[in-house]
Amino acid sequence: MTRLIPSEHELHAYIDDRLDPVRRAEVQAWLVANPQEAARVEAWRNDARRLRAALAGFGEVPGPAQLDLRQVQRRLHQRRQRRLASAAALLLALGLGGLGGWQARQATLFAGLLPMEDAVQAHRLFAGGTALDVQASDLVQLQDWLTRHFDRVGQLPDLSGYGLRPVGARLLSNEEGAAALLVFQDGRGERVSLFLRSPGERYGPMPSGQRTDGGLEARYWSHGAYNFALVSGADDARGEAVRRALGVSL
Amino acid sequence: MHDLDEQQWRELLQRLRRFALWLCRDSGSADDLVQATVERALSRSHQRHEAADLRAWLFTILYRLFLDAKRRERLHARWLAWFGRSQEEASGGETESIVQAQADLQVFARLSTEQRALLLLVSVEGLSYKEAAQALDIPIGTVMSRLSRARATLRDLTEGNPAPPALRRLK
Repeated sequence: MTRLIPSEHELHAYIDDRLDPVRRAEVQAWLVANPQEAARVEAWRNDARRLRAALAGFGEVPGPAQLDLRQVQRRLHQRRQRRLASAAALLLALGLGGLGGWQARQATLFAGLLPMEDAVQAHRLFAGGTALDVQASDLVQLQDWLTRHFDRVGQLPDLSGYGLRPVGARLLSNEEGAAALLVFQDGRGERVSLFLRSPGERYGPMPSGQRTDGGLEARYWSHGAYNFALVSGADDARGEAVRRALGVSL
Repeated sequence: MHDLDEQQWRELLQRLRRFALWLCRDSGSADDLVQATVERALSRSHQRHEAADLRAWLFTILYRLFLDAKRRERLHARWLAWFGRSQEEASGGETESIVQAQADLQVFARLSTEQRALLLLVSVEGLSYKEAAQALDIPIGTVMSRLSRARATLRDLTEGNPAPPALRRLK
């Protein structure tokens, strides 16, 4: 048996179990004969052990924020398809400025999975809060604002018959240009939103329909130059009637 | 990557996140880093990887992305300085509180990022020296000398007698 003194590197390889069996045995024998070195190696090994113990469980994700492979893949696929479009959306979002623009960008990130998904997202993000571009308590004001940004839109109907009054509106962006969220509220604080945007390559004119999404009901349709969606609470009985009133008037 | 069952996938993510946390020292950035890693890996999944070296490959991607982000951050800091704003100190809240709670981790946290990364890969994740060299994009000789320095430093810090770096033996 050769008694070559192991190099420092070999001692580390010994700890990490990266030596071939023959050399390993030799180093082990050498350590037995050199207790001082053995103590040094044992201390390193202990440090590694303690580190492993201290880090066990470290990095476990709290809550449900687990990455889902399929979801990531779907997102990747979508992202490839609209990388260019997103760049434009980002510019627009930056143009809108500040946090609002960023949130709007967030809203567009989720868009495109389901019909008018962005409408539902926009409603979630903005309808409840006060982060609206304009506060408009009367219809004329809101109509002015709307016409200024969307020149081919029709007339907003008076929804006071359903107990709904205008609260305000917010300009948003998505991949294909501007979108808007108009928020209405009834006497009990219940809010519904009208969302509209231009149809484009990704969002062509679409058949009318509706779907429920986490306690919200989205009713959507295309008319003239725009796609519309009415987002209300899923249990809001006025939904269908309001949707028809909007459909006739806009 | 698609051959992994849910348990394996979860465990792998946890390992990546742990590595990322020790690099970034901030859970938000760490999560972003893990996510970016997985996305990058998926977009290159045509490069076939056996389950065994999948881990090493993912660590490699993650570390590259981390370095890229660092570089951008420095650039960003220069821009901020240019506009007369000082760089905001990253607080790293979550990691910091965990670290404070454990003496062993406190010591570990005082190592340099490079040393931490290497010890994590070798001692904790069990990567081979060759895999670690690939992941960190350094020669295997550097892995060995860095490992030996990292362990010596860890030892010194643990015993509470940190040797001044200038006096430490160069290997």
